[in-house]
Amino acid sequence: MHNPQSKAIRFIELLLLISALILFVIGTALGDTFFLRLATESLIFGGLAMSVDLLLGIVGLLSLGQALYFGFGAYLSALILKEISPSFGLTIVMVAIASIALGWVASFIALRSKGVYFALITFGLAQVAAKVVYNTRSLGASDGMIGVPILRIWTPFGELDAGQPGTFFVITLIIIGVLYLVLKYFLSTPMGSMWHAIRSNEDRLAYVGYKSKGPKQFAFILAVMVAAVSGALYPMLRGFVSPELMFFSVSGNAVVTVVLGGVGTLIGPILGSVLLTSFKSIIATWTSHHHIVIGLIFIVIVISAPKGLAGLLTKYYGKQDSRKGGGDGNE
Amino acid sequence: MLESLQYIFAPQIINGLSIGVAVILMALGLTIIFGLLDVINMSHGEFYAAGAFISVSLMAMGVSFWLCLFLVPLFLVPIGFAMERLLIQKVFHYKDRHILTLLLTFGVSMVLEDSYKIIWGANPIKPSAPISGASELFGVMFPNYRLFLMGFGAILIFSVWALIYKTQLGAIVRAAAYDKDMSSSLGIPVRRVYALTFAFGVALAGLAGVLLAPIYSVFPTMGRDFILMAFTVVIVGGLGSIKGAVIAGILLTQLQSISSLYISPVWSDPLVFTVMVLVLMFKPSGLYGGMKNA
Amino acid sequence: MEMNDVILRAVNLTKKFGGLVAVDGVSFEITSLGVSSVIGPNGAGKSTLFNLLSGTFLPDSGLVLLDGLDVTRANPEQRLAAGMARSFQITNLFFDLSVVDNLRIASQALESNVNLFLPLNKSRIAIDRADELLDEFELHEARDRLAGALSHGQQRRLEIAVTIATRPKLLLLDEPTQGMSQADTQETAELIKQLGSKITVLLIEHDVDLVMNLSKAVIVMAQGRKLSEGSPAEVRANPLVQAAYFGEELA
Repeated sequence: MHNPQSKAIRFIELLLLISALILFVIGTALGDTFFLRLATESLIFGGLAMSVDLLLGIVGLLSLGQALYFGFGAYLSALILKEISPSFGLTIVMVAIASIALGWVASFIALRSKGVYFALITFGLAQVAAKVVYNTRSLGASDGMIGVPILRIWTPFGELDAGQPGTFFVITLIIIGVLYLVLKYFLSTPMGSMWHAIRSNEDRLAYVGYKSKGPKQFAFILAVMVAAVSGALYPMLRGFVSPELMFFSVSGNAVVTVVLGGVGTLIGPILGSVLLTSFKSIIATWTSHHHIVIGLIFIVIVISAPKGLAGLLTKYYGKQDSRKGGGDGNE
Repeated sequence: MLESLQYIFAPQIINGLSIGVAVILMALGLTIIFGLLDVINMSHGEFYAAGAFISVSLMAMGVSFWLCLFLVPLFLVPIGFAMERLLIQKVFHYKDRHILTLLLTFGVSMVLEDSYKIIWGANPIKPSAPISGASELFGVMFPNYRLFLMGFGAILIFSVWALIYKTQLGAIVRAAAYDKDMSSSLGIPVRRVYALTFAFGVALAGLAGVLLAPIYSVFPTMGRDFILMAFTVVIVGGLGSIKGAVIAGILLTQLQSISSLYISPVWSDPLVFTVMVLVLMFKPSGLYGGMKNA
Repeated sequence: MEMNDVILRAVNLTKKFGGLVAVDGVSFEITSLGVSSVIGPNGAGKSTLFNLLSGTFLPDSGLVLLDGLDVTRANPEQRLAAGMARSFQITNLFFDLSVVDNLRIASQALESNVNLFLPLNKSRIAIDRADELLDEFELHEARDRLAGALSHGQQRRLEIAVTIATRPKLLLLDEPTQGMSQADTQETAELIKQLGSKITVLLIEHDVDLVMNLSKAVIVMAQGRKLSEGSPAEVRANPLVQAAYFGEELA
């Protein structure tokens, strides 16, 4: 538990948590809307990034179409809120359940392949789904769906108004936080070890007694659920959904944030998402061409720091340990 | 019956073939880069777009279309060379190089796509076809440009195949791809060969861009739209197989053009992508692939 | 387990690749405990036989019986559950995981499947087994190091440790001293001897001297067929075997 990577992870967790609290306190005090909503959005996409990281950094499968499930969650959420009931709890639970079913079905298509082929299958699936949604009248076609009601969320402490940026920021923080803790829990189980083993040497796993199919499917479904639940929060924040949510740029951005934050750490992608979202909105004040800058940064990172920010932090802590002369005597 | 063949199907078939050659050219580049270099080039579509954009600008300056066909790929060669040598080779030695090169080229595609928006704007540009008029074939009128595309494309594809399999240069490239260390010890400048191969592959994509610009029009996201078709052809044909790319290219473009008779064109893309997903599910090595598995 | 119980029985195993018959009607019995070996000149079909026994290939005909159980068509996980484990020629560890993680994963099969979803520290059996192996194979100091960062010797020990983690009845070793120096070969031979005192080891090897010193029983293959079977002394004295190894020193 004292190794450099866990120190790096702990640092990022605290950094994000403390920043979030500071933002909430100051933002609410000053009546800010912009920054709180921006932060909320970055957390929502952070959830999608976590989903990508679970597959890429832990199991070793690169998904280039995770936005499909994110968009699924968003659309389903909008439909439930508009047509059934503007209930937060109901929506989240229904999206979670539906996404598990979707994930189960999708796993039979996607998990037939691995590596590069898996990336291309997930890419293709998302493209097809996005095109279908884009052309479906009942889902609003290219305009998407608007008019998602603002939620009043029931809690034992009283009713919360999701329209309040600060309130919804905390709610999102909690949901994404819970998803993060769920994933971390599974990582601490033998199932998590199986995932690491699959990433490291999938073929050997059978020879130590386990088919890789089961753990892979479990991780896949879990990732779909995380992406969908994150997506479900989107219409609650923005009041609408559109087919753009399933486009490749969303999947691609998620991958960028994962690599930026630190592949395999789960919290790194959230940090990456926060940084990228802030960065985009800053650049957007000068030019609408943020893709070039992001692309360039991404290239630099892939070449010089492929383990992202968390990786750099890990190296830093590692150097610290060896300077201390063996650290905790684990050597 | 014969009439419907003549008036309904023949046009679609010919159209499909004319587009098919350009798709094959693009897929050839992709499959060469993957088959020989083991790199998944996510920026391939952007090189296709580059070819189209550069030719549009050159023609606006008065350069003839025919000169463009020659100049544009030539212009893309050093760019492709530099990209492979300076960027891709940096990550090549890692264990997860498949993913890293995929990500890297994805980053390049982001940069390129946005650059096109900056330089040429987001609106589509439609250059006019360099050959106008139509000719009669099987009793039906076809645009001359499309007929030219078919013929010229076929010659090009054959040349590429001949270059790789029938020339000394091609043998060197294949040797370097097959066994890097052995080739290197035989005096083959492996790194340069790799970079040249990549450059060749993207130049082919650029050439396809020049050829298809008058048909599809030119806009910054044209690469993204087209890349899935190219990948589908490569996968169905088999990653690394030239013969596969040709046959799959013809089959899939025919599928697309004939199906457009029966279903609305918006569904033809999903149809093609579904084919790719099915192939990946049941025969991931494609028609003629098999050497390179993920 | 009695020393003379038959633990592995190969019955008429045949495997063809196209026109080539790699393994041709091979039958033999291996009794429990000790080291038994399969040797033979290049192209004798040893590797193919090994792959048939371990489940990597399916035979065209014939049976593989482990302790009476038909495992001919069983997949690797099933074979492991039945008690057969195999090692790999090129060390095939989980390189970016730590030594102790490698061992825990290898030992996980000792637990029930429910434990996959419970926190790691509930898999006491696996954890204890991993610690046991760390001591037994002298890997304790390297416990948190990545398997890929170990020395060659350490990796080899880890490889064996991973293979026997689930306490298999039968251990298949595929040319374990391939490409090794004299000193390393000695060390590995010692290791194999020790293993043989507790479980049954079936060795496929090129190094005839090594095999003769270690084994209680030797099977000689040539051109896909079993040429001879018996104790090292019996086999060495067999003129057919000497002819097959024409030019090689058996004494």
